[in-house]
Amino acid sequence: MSDEELAKDLGLIPAMTIGIGTMIGAGIFVLPGEAAQGTGPIVVISFLVGGLIAMVNALSVSELGTAMPKAGGAYYYVNRALGPLFGSISGLGDWLGLAFASAFYTIGFGRYLGELVELPSILFLSNVQVGAIVAGAVFVGVNYIGAKETGGVQTIIVSILLAILGIFTIAGWFAFDWGTVSGSGGYTPFGTAELLPATGLVFVSFLGYAKIATVGEEMKNPGRNLPIAIVGSVAIVTVLYGILVTIMLGVVPWPDLDLEAPVAQATEVAFPGNYAGAAAVIMALGALLATASSANASILASARINFAMGRDKIVNDWLNEIHPRFATPYRSIIVTGGLILVFVILMGGDVKVLAEAASVLHLIVYALMNAALIVFRETEHPDYDPDFTVPLYPIVPILGFVLSLGLIYFMDTTSQILAVVFIVGAVLWYVLYARYRTPIQGVLGEYVRDRSEEMPDIAVSAAEAASPDATAPYNVMVPVSNPRTEDELVALGCTMANQKGGVVHAVHVVQVPDQTSLDYVADQIERIDDESDQLFENARAVAAEYDVDIETHTVVSHRSLEEVVDSAERLNADTVVMGWSPSRPWTSGRTGGALDELTTNLPCDFLVFKDRGFDPSRVLVPTAGGPDSDLSAEAAKALRDVHGADVSILHVVDEDTDRAKGTAFLGTWADDHGLGNATLLVETDGNVEGAIERAANDHTMVVLGATRKGLLSRLVGGSLVFDVVDEVDCSVLLAERPAKRSLRERLFGRPGVEASTETEEGEPKMESGT
Amino acid sequence: MSDEPFRRVLVPIANEADARVTGKAVADRFDDSTLIPIYVVEKAGGAPDAAGVEQREEFAETLFKIFEAVIDESTLIVEPTVGYGIDVAATILEVADDERADAIVFVPRSESRWRQLLTGDVARKLINRTDRPVLILPGDRDE
Repeated sequence: MSDEELAKDLGLIPAMTIGIGTMIGAGIFVLPGEAAQGTGPIVVISFLVGGLIAMVNALSVSELGTAMPKAGGAYYYVNRALGPLFGSISGLGDWLGLAFASAFYTIGFGRYLGELVELPSILFLSNVQVGAIVAGAVFVGVNYIGAKETGGVQTIIVSILLAILGIFTIAGWFAFDWGTVSGSGGYTPFGTAELLPATGLVFVSFLGYAKIATVGEEMKNPGRNLPIAIVGSVAIVTVLYGILVTIMLGVVPWPDLDLEAPVAQATEVAFPGNYAGAAAVIMALGALLATASSANASILASARINFAMGRDKIVNDWLNEIHPRFATPYRSIIVTGGLILVFVILMGGDVKVLAEAASVLHLIVYALMNAALIVFRETEHPDYDPDFTVPLYPIVPILGFVLSLGLIYFMDTTSQILAVVFIVGAVLWYVLYARYRTPIQGVLGEYVRDRSEEMPDIAVSAAEAASPDATAPYNVMVPVSNPRTEDELVALGCTMANQKGGVVHAVHVVQVPDQTSLDYVADQIERIDDESDQLFENARAVAAEYDVDIETHTVVSHRSLEEVVDSAERLNADTVVMGWSPSRPWTSGRTGGALDELTTNLPCDFLVFKDRGFDPSRVLVPTAGGPDSDLSAEAAKALRDVHGADVSILHVVDEDTDRAKGTAFLGTWADDHGLGNATLLVETDGNVEGAIERAANDHTMVVLGATRKGLLSRLVGGSLVFDVVDEVDCSVLLAERPAKRSLRERLFGRPGVEASTETEEGEPKMESGT
Repeated sequence: MSDEPFRRVLVPIANEADARVTGKAVADRFDDSTLIPIYVVEKAGGAPDAAGVEQREEFAETLFKIFEAVIDESTLIVEPTVGYGIDVAATILEVADDERADAIVFVPRSESRWRQLLTGDVARKLINRTDRPVLILPGDRDE
């Protein structure tokens, strides 16, 4: 079995039990009393309508989940599709919604615990709240130390629950009486207008299915199992709720239904006298299992959402530290636990408020999620390839969006106010915090910006305003150390930055011998500062000419080249522009494997400049296609656009008979790379180096794509293969675009959604320059 | 080290301190070997895991970086790997087999009794069930 399969050990049945186990706690055990007393017998329909809305959303979650089985669920989809503003709303909404739901579950737990044992009331806290606080603390503690819950236990709990409810259904059937259901005032004593507000209240009973998506990454065969588990668990609980609530109402007249523990009460009535007490106890124990299971799954799901948000820097990743001994995300669990306890203490007196708060936040998230689905489909995003697709697109997601928001309309004013306050809060969170940190830009924003010509102005400016600041700059890093060559390098860096509206980072890497401690150097920092200041002053002057923003950094290190690579990574550089001369002491520090590894895993594009004067008037680009020459093309284009360079493109073929083919290839290549007006040169003697040297005589600069073997590693290794660099008389710009593989990707071999947009270009047929 | 040198050495690490201490201990005592640090993502076997898989894979990556940073020895090759399993000790032994490790090397961590009871004491299980040499190195006491 591969590692990937080993990591996915969640089968269909366990996945479905997560959904059923999470949902079954609330609707049946806690809410029927509350809901029925405000609505009358049609509360059964309220449950079914809730199930219907849940089902429509479940179809959408299923599609998104099979397209992106990633930790985070709804948050992840919304953030990818609609960008981090809506990502913040959905992430915080899902998280707080779960905390409200968990507070609600623990209150339910407290109520049934109160049926079994005498609970004290402390200070202003009712006995139910005390029970809930104890329960909440235990759930948080269990998750904190990560006490092992195996699949077996989860399945057994759900099986026991279904068995208990099954027996209740049978016993209840015999005690059932339609007369009791209609009772006084018929089926709609408060009118049909109460139907939907009650649905808003009981909607919290259907929140469990989306939790399956948050653990989608652990599922076996998610393409098939995820939709079955999600849709299946919603279908099962909807039917179950319909039957059970009907029976409850046929056993106990709805005005008499217990507010605290309705199921225990109905059980006592339904069972024959001598079994009644025992049956009620068993039912109460079942209720404890059910509410505990709901609360537990919600705490786990919260941690996944926190992780996904932390990775996108919407919240501080501090939250997601793994406990050194327990290997659990303990901070996230503690913070979520704290929220649960605060909600229990402040709002635990009225279970309806907690239930509606959980419902309303989830409804907002679900509405956004449906919008996310539509965006993925309409923009035809290349990474979006769901195994399961919603039927009747676009009706289902539009329906999901409308029903989710529509239900909020029918809810309590308090809940509506909460929804507004929450959205304002989440937007503020994005504007004041996340916007400056998150690197994510949504598919929608990209789509609108890429089509800024066709789209209405208002859409474009809205997309710009909502897009995160952290993505905006294109970072060009220029290591400066030599005042003599510095200006040329900074000029090159500015050329690249200018074209893409980017920022230049001048980095002064102060290399000190291995024997010198860095602490000692720190003492000398004043001297270094003077040197840096001098370098930076020049750099600033150059940048000013190009009208490019510049930032400066000084780094002290033993190893200059590694420091360059490290700094590039730290600064999130897109391109590094550096100088090269054979006398450069690059080989100091470690040698061999480690360095090879370093230089063959570049964090970004590298442009290495062999300086024979910076004159970009006539630029030669030899190409054979391939990813590295894509970068040469970009550089040439920047030189043309910024300096008005004349660009020639050179392609070498083996035979004179291939000339036409070569010309055709060059024409296409030039058009594809925005160099349509370049001079096309085709040589037919098969001698690439000779051809470049001859052509270079008429040019002032050669831009050379490295081969895939690793330009830097060859330069560093001292075995410069590019003889051509020494043979030609003009300056040479070497371009290397990395094969983007991080340590993570090497380990796990599965790049994320973003990384997979990198198409694996076929190896170029002929390498330029070798 | 011995007549039959340990060429491929599996080094289980569980947390950051462990990566640092164990990394130093092995760097001091091995030359010309391939070190295979392994982090085991503990699975629940059908229930949601205590922490997400991706989250622990990122954690593993951090541990490996610390490990590699401590091992500043050009003669040692480091090949990190991640294992997945319900039973940590069994998973380590399986990976040792897959990686054709000559030995499993670790630095014991001081664990409280009740913690050992809860987690089933991985070290003890490793020693009891091993099919290849297990080397227990003293860590640096200062850490």
